[in-house]
Amino acid sequence: MYVIVIGGGNVGYYFSRHLLERGDEVTVVEKNPARAEWLESQLGSVVMSGDGDEMAFLKTTGIERADAVVAVTGDDEDNLVALQLAKRAFNVPLTIARVNNPANVAIFKALGVDQAVSATEVLLGALEPTVTAEEGVREGR
Amino acid sequence: MKILIVGCGRVGARLAQALDREGHEVTIIDSDAGAFDRFASRGVFDSSFRGEFVVGDGTDADLLRRAGIEDADCFVAVTQGDNRNIMAAQIAQHIYHVPRVVCRIYDPVRDEAYRKLGLRVYCPTTAGAERVRQMILEDD
Repeated sequence: MYVIVIGGGNVGYYFSRHLLERGDEVTVVEKNPARAEWLESQLGSVVMSGDGDEMAFLKTTGIERADAVVAVTGDDEDNLVALQLAKRAFNVPLTIARVNNPANVAIFKALGVDQAVSATEVLLGALEPTVTAEEGVREGR
Repeated sequence: MKILIVGCGRVGARLAQALDREGHEVTIIDSDAGAFDRFASRGVFDSSFRGEFVVGDGTDADLLRRAGIEDADCFVAVTQGDNRNIMAAQIAQHIYHVPRVVCRIYDPVRDEAYRKLGLRVYCPTTAGAERVRQMILEDD
């Protein structure tokens, strides 16, 4: 499948590397040109330097034929806007967001993003799988 | 009316003061704790201002709830970031169903995209360019 990854930080880098290893077609979108250059030295010519929320730029990534767009920048609002544009303007079938604020998992889904993943939520689950985050807080853990 | 303003910059501060003077119940939110004092020292806020200043992230639903979004009549997003405004305004409109939401977007392309999605957008870029064009060409 063709996957566009928005954000080439640590999460974006390892995620893209795994997709490439299993044979998917990938484009990584990275705002910072120096970081984009580094990514290209590691991943090959699958990196484009630009803004994931600029419509004209998104068009140049071949987004219209993408099977999925995954937004993993460190800013929830940037991930939201990139994916809403992918979904609404370019009809991308699957949009997935990384979110920092766990409350945004539900909000992103309500605002049209297909999947949202919160590392905070995953970490809380790993810490005490049987206790919910809310109970943990109440018990002062 | 109860009005929430996200972004205590030039526009947000001036708007908050004007609405407060007209008797509205104003809460202004900014992530920078010094924002309110900065505009107060410049005279944008006068000593009669009764509104509330809340420090925090205007795209954080929990913070918005604490600031009173559930019974707000109006919501205005005027931070420096287009995406920040878009996210805050959509939370107000689609999650908390605030009756009147206004969102500032500088980028004309995103302005058009989100207008189509039902947001009430003010785009200073297109509005400003049009105004200057009028001032040049229609000089009477």
